[in-house]
Amino acid sequence: MKQISKKSALLIGGFLALAGNSVLYAASQPMSGEQIIQKRCMDCHSETGNPSLPYSRISEQRKTPEGWQMTIQRMVSIHEAKMSADERKQVHKFLSDTQGLAPSETTALRYGLERDGNLLENNDPAYAEMCARCHSGARFGLQRRTEEEWSLLVQFHMGQIPTLELHSLARDRPWFDLAMNQVVPKLAQDYPFESAAWKSWQAADKPTFEHDWAITGYIPGKGDFDALMQVRAKGGDLYGLQVIGQYADGTPLTGSGQAITYTGYEWRASLTLDGIKMRQILAANEQGTRMQGRLFMAEANELGAAMVAQRAAKGDHAVTGVMPSHIRQGARQEITIVGVGLKGTPALGKGLRIVKTLSAGANRIRLLVEAEKDAAVGLRDVAVGKAQAPAALAVYDKVARVDVVPGESVARVGGNGTPIAKAKSAYRAVGYAAGADGKPGTEDDVRLGYMPATWSLKPFDETAKEDNDLKYAGAIDANGVFVPGDAGPNPERKMSTNNVGNLNVVGTVDDAGNKVSGEGHLLVTVQHFVRASVL
Amino acid sequence: MKHLKSINKKAKTVEEAVSREEVEEVMAMQTVVGCTATTDPGWEVDPFGGLASLCAPMESDLYGCADACWWPAQVPDTMSTYPDWSKGIDKANVDWRKLDGIFPEDE
Repeated sequence: MKQISKKSALLIGGFLALAGNSVLYAASQPMSGEQIIQKRCMDCHSETGNPSLPYSRISEQRKTPEGWQMTIQRMVSIHEAKMSADERKQVHKFLSDTQGLAPSETTALRYGLERDGNLLENNDPAYAEMCARCHSGARFGLQRRTEEEWSLLVQFHMGQIPTLELHSLARDRPWFDLAMNQVVPKLAQDYPFESAAWKSWQAADKPTFEHDWAITGYIPGKGDFDALMQVRAKGGDLYGLQVIGQYADGTPLTGSGQAITYTGYEWRASLTLDGIKMRQILAANEQGTRMQGRLFMAEANELGAAMVAQRAAKGDHAVTGVMPSHIRQGARQEITIVGVGLKGTPALGKGLRIVKTLSAGANRIRLLVEAEKDAAVGLRDVAVGKAQAPAALAVYDKVARVDVVPGESVARVGGNGTPIAKAKSAYRAVGYAAGADGKPGTEDDVRLGYMPATWSLKPFDETAKEDNDLKYAGAIDANGVFVPGDAGPNPERKMSTNNVGNLNVVGTVDDAGNKVSGEGHLLVTVQHFVRASVL
Repeated sequence: MKHLKSINKKAKTVEEAVSREEVEEVMAMQTVVGCTATTDPGWEVDPFGGLASLCAPMESDLYGCADACWWPAQVPDTMSTYPDWSKGIDKANVDWRKLDGIFPEDE
C-alpha cells in the first residue's frame, strides 16, 4: 500500500489531519476556519443571510471529525474545491468543533470511528435494506441532518452512483419512493439536526487534557499493558504525549507522540509505542476524567484493541485493571492492580487472601494472592482505598466454556507485489466458569476474562474442506494473529481462484490439564480497494 | 426452480436456500460491518455467507462490476467517482499487481 498514492490524493476519506507530525493543525493561521469557508466554498455554496445557519448545505449538518474529513476530501477530489492542506485542516477543525456530535450521540456507534470492522451490525431493517447494503450503519448514524439534508443525501447517491437502481433491494421495489417517503423521515427523527444533547454539550464547560493519564490496553502480538501517559498542551488543542509503562509480564513499554482534540472530547493521537506506529481514537467522558476507545496499528488498522485512559490528577482515584482477572479455587498467584491514586490495603473480597505485597505504587500494586479451596465461585469487587472496581476479579472452579473473540471476522488477501497489504485478524480467548447451574452456555456463566490459548484453524464447512481452504487461505500464529494468503489468482486452485477461505478459528485454553476450546468464524476474502475514515 | 435440476455444487447451494428473499434478508442483516450486502454477485461474501458463489478469481471479471459501481464502497467505481482508477491496467487478470487502493490520507 502506498503511503499517499496518486490515487489517495483523490480520497474520499481522511483520518488525520486528525493526528500526526506532518499533518497537525497549526496554531496560528492567517485565516480562521470560517473565513476559509467564506473564501473557498462560496463558489458552489451560498451565504443564506440567516446568522444561525449561515451557509447553504454546510450549516444544516453535524458530523464527527472523521465524517467532516470525508466530506472535505470529497469536496476537494470530486468538486475541485481549492484549499491548501493547511486550509483543509482549519476548516476540518472548525466544523468538527462547531457542528459536531455530543458525546452521548456517538456512544452506540463508536466502532465506526475506531475502525473496528470485525463485528456484526444490528441495523434497523429500513436502514439495512436501503443504506447499509453498501456501507456501515455507522456511516450515516454518526451524522445529524435536517430532513431536507437527509433527502439531499439520497439525491446525492442517486446522482453519484446511478446504477444503484439496478441493485437487488432497489430494482425489485420502488426504492426511491421508499427512500424519500419512509427512510428520510425516519433518519430525520432518529438522527435529528437539532438535539438537546448537542445544545447542552455546546453550553458545557469542556474538559482539559493536560494531565497524566493511567492507560491500559492490549497490543495484538504483544499482550496486555499498563502505562502512564503524560499529556502536555502545545496550544490550539494540540498535545504532546509521553508513555512509560510495562506489559503484563513486566517488560518495559515506552512511546511518544502527538494528539489533537475535536469537539471538546474527541481525542486523536498518533504515537510510536514500543517501536510500532499506532493511533488512539478515544472519547473523553463529559467530566473529562476518563477516555475510552481503541488503540490500533497505523499500518494495519485491523490490529488493535480497546484502550482506557484514566485521569491521574490530584485527588483522582480509580482501579482501571486487574491482571489477570481470574484466580482458581485453591490457587496461589500474582495479581496486579492498576489504576490511579491507589492508596491503602487492597480488598479483594471473600475467600481471597493477600499473602504478600510484592510492590506498591499509586498506579500499580503487585500482590501474591491465595484463593481458599472453597472460595465461592463468582465475581469480586476490588478496592484500594477509595478506588473501586466492581466485579473485577473472578474466582472459578474450572473453565467450562471458551469464547473466541471476535466471533465473526474477516481477513483479506494482499501483498504478493500488490500495493495493498494483507488485512490480518487477531483473536483472543475468553474463559467462563459454568456458574451455579453447572451448565456452560447459560445466563449464570461467570466471565473470567481473557486467558492464554493455543490457536489452530479448521475448515468452516464441507465446501471449504473440498476446496482445501486450509492450505491456501493463510495461517494463525501462537499469539492468535491470522495472516492471510497472497493476493492474486492462484493457478494451483480450482479455476485459479484467489487464496480465499471459509475457516473456523479454534482457541484452546489449558486449564490445569483440562483443555477447553471455543471457535470463531473467519472469512478470508478479497481486498478492500476503498477504505474510508468512517467504516 | 422445480423444473431445473442442479448439476454442480453452486446450483445445489442455490436450490437449498429457502428462497431468494430470505437469503437477501439474512445477508442484509448479518454481514460483517464494512462488507457489502449486495450479493448478486457479492464482492467479499456470497448470498450464503460463504465464498463459493463469488466470481473467482475476482480479477477475471473485476471491471464488469467495478465499472458499473456494483460495490462502490469496496471497489472504486470508474463511472463517476474514480474514473482513472484502472487507467493503463486494461486487463485486470494480467496486471492485477498494479491495482492500487483509495485509502484515507494517513495510510
